[in-house]
Amino acid sequence: MTETSPATIITFIAYIACVFVLAALSHRLLATKSFLGEYFLGSRGLGSWALAFTFAATAASGGSFTGFPSLIYSYGWVLAFWIASYMVAGVCSMGVLGKRLNQVARKTGAITIPDVLRDRYDSTALGLFATATIIFFTVCNLIAQFKAGALIIEETFNLPADWGYSAGLIIFAVTVIFYTAYGGFRAVVWTDVLQGVVMVVGITLLLPVILRQGGGMESINRKLRERPPTLVTSVAGAYNDLVIQAKGKLDTAGLLYRHPQRADAPLQIRWDAGAGAEHRFIEVYLATDGAGRTTSTGNDVKRAIEQHPSLGPRFRVRFPYDNNEIVTDRFGQRTERGATGVIGLDSDRSTERFVFLRGDEVLFGPGRSNRGAPFHPLGMAISFFFMWAITGMGQPGTMLRLMAFKDSRTLKRAILTVTGFYSMVYLPLVFIFVSARVLIPELNAENSDKAMVLVTTRVVGDMGLAYQVLGAFLVAAPFAAVMSTVDSFLLMISSGLVRDIYQRTINPQVSERTVKRASYATTVIVGIVVTLLATRPPDFLQRIIVFTGSGFAATFLCPVMLGLFWKGMKRQGALSAMVGGFVVMVGFFLPTLFGGSRIDLLGLHPNLWGLLVSFGLGLLVSKGTGPAPAHLVDRYFYKSSSPQPGRSTEDRRESRVEGSA
Amino acid sequence: MIDPVFRNSLRECIFLLLLWLACCLYTVTYCYLAGYLVHEPHPNATGPSIGKLVGPLTAFDRQPQSLATPLGLGVPDWVFYGVITPWLVAVVVTVLFCLYFFVEDDLSPPSVERNESGTIHD
Repeated sequence: MTETSPATIITFIAYIACVFVLAALSHRLLATKSFLGEYFLGSRGLGSWALAFTFAATAASGGSFTGFPSLIYSYGWVLAFWIASYMVAGVCSMGVLGKRLNQVARKTGAITIPDVLRDRYDSTALGLFATATIIFFTVCNLIAQFKAGALIIEETFNLPADWGYSAGLIIFAVTVIFYTAYGGFRAVVWTDVLQGVVMVVGITLLLPVILRQGGGMESINRKLRERPPTLVTSVAGAYNDLVIQAKGKLDTAGLLYRHPQRADAPLQIRWDAGAGAEHRFIEVYLATDGAGRTTSTGNDVKRAIEQHPSLGPRFRVRFPYDNNEIVTDRFGQRTERGATGVIGLDSDRSTERFVFLRGDEVLFGPGRSNRGAPFHPLGMAISFFFMWAITGMGQPGTMLRLMAFKDSRTLKRAILTVTGFYSMVYLPLVFIFVSARVLIPELNAENSDKAMVLVTTRVVGDMGLAYQVLGAFLVAAPFAAVMSTVDSFLLMISSGLVRDIYQRTINPQVSERTVKRASYATTVIVGIVVTLLATRPPDFLQRIIVFTGSGFAATFLCPVMLGLFWKGMKRQGALSAMVGGFVVMVGFFLPTLFGGSRIDLLGLHPNLWGLLVSFGLGLLVSKGTGPAPAHLVDRYFYKSSSPQPGRSTEDRRESRVEGSA
Repeated sequence: MIDPVFRNSLRECIFLLLLWLACCLYTVTYCYLAGYLVHEPHPNATGPSIGKLVGPLTAFDRQPQSLATPLGLGVPDWVFYGVITPWLVAVVVTVLFCLYFFVEDDLSPPSVERNESGTIHD
């Protein structure tokens, strides 16, 4: 646990207050505009800064500031390769679809992605399937994001383990549900701008501080190489991962690791000097956290023995390798020197394999997972180049923003801004958390999620008030990232239920007053339901986020992209593409629900297979079912095909709503 | 008449997908060949994989002692040439794309009118 400075608490509260003020201002604006268009799409009036920051902040979820730093800390420079497609993610995810999607949405009056699909293909079934898919993936994702938000509050404010998560969840839920429901899309966008600024300012200020503390990147790399190998797994070690050498002639001893159990201290050492030789073990009791994971490292055990009043003078403890040269073989398999092997836990005779990562392995690829397998093999390297840039295009949350900007010039400026934003956030994060490995060496894989909080509290927290404020900014950054994703997703579900299902399918003549009440109520109810689901969240948080992001792309990218750019794309093709992509994603991830591994066919991420199947089916089925309807081709691909003179589809819908009010 | 927004958007879409492909080919190839200590498939790995299809490529295995840091920036050579350099090039190409290739089309349907401040009223 880390101390929370008053500056952190004040900055955090000020940030929350700013969010509420922005929601109130947005609500006032809401009263002056057409409700649906303003509440769900900001009246298509986003300027370039607003578009850029809401786009970037929505794309950057909590993973960018918790999971990503944790991976950098654990695996080092290979994460620069892992994240590399962000070099073109901004321009691709905005520039490929942006202008055309915005134009088509204006032409049809669409304010949601299911709206676009329903109108482009003239198919109610397609619209409803799109809404159902969005709700499915979004609810899954929201549970994970709510958990992340609650954990950040618990950790930041040092709340007790027994009620800290629940309190964090309630604070997070009340904040985000209130400002999203009250202020609608524009409040979400404005807070996204605030959150984006928090992220980029925090990172930009932190980078030079960290580099100075570490003595520069050259020095940091050298220290990384010289450091003793570190455990990738959570359990501290086994009989043979530390060598116990007696300083005198008579004493001999072994290390006996007891099954992890709860204890006040991180680890406890017991030693019975009077026992017979066959029982002369140093017993190491490893404490666990609330999730049953051991948080001690091999270094902690070594230090504890050396500082023990009776053991310290008797024993020398060292890692079983010399000069950092050989720890494991090239694949992390056991070697004669015994640095990789099997941990014996004597109470239940269970075993666990463990792997050390050499210092130089964090300077190169592919890294090694806790099972010794390559962390970033070739198949994953290819898949992740698809992941950020191409999969990023297929997210309904970001597509929605591309329907909301004012004009082409706005899009152009936003592309430049987002490109700058990604460059100023993701590359510096790699530098910062490679350095953190040297500055805060004791984290292991299980608690490296705390790397961001520890960097801000330990490394910059004791450097004076200005740095404490900077630290508070950085603690707020992951919170901001989670909030900016959650608010967008909440609105997406509520727009799906109110607009796509109720207004466009069940009751097209609904009054504006009813729509307004339904929108507020739906946002709040969805928020409450997700909060309740998040009280018992699943453990595999990051997997859910990857699953939903990949699922969205596999389901939506093909029908939207081909619908915008290919005259021959038909409703049959679009539906096949959506169903095919959805089924592949769910099928490939299904084993993870039962404790198994994701299916990575040919070593490639399911995301790639989902896209391949979706585009393949979209093209083949559309080709095989005859020509596309002429009226749709005319309407969307030829200039003469404008809507009724003087009135767009949205005009007609709005006047219908107003007329019936 | 073909919608000019469609025509221009398609042209820009193709350009950007080619840019992505170029970055992908260069970065993945360079980083995999120049930045990995091990190129053999993991011995416990079962079934076919891209790594096995490409081949072991052990001749490209990096030796830790060979690490260099170009320009004294402290960034490993393979990251500098495989990620940071193409990243800078991609940023420059993005700027050029926005300045010279991207067309500022009028996106509003014919019926939509603008007020004096430039905001759109449906």
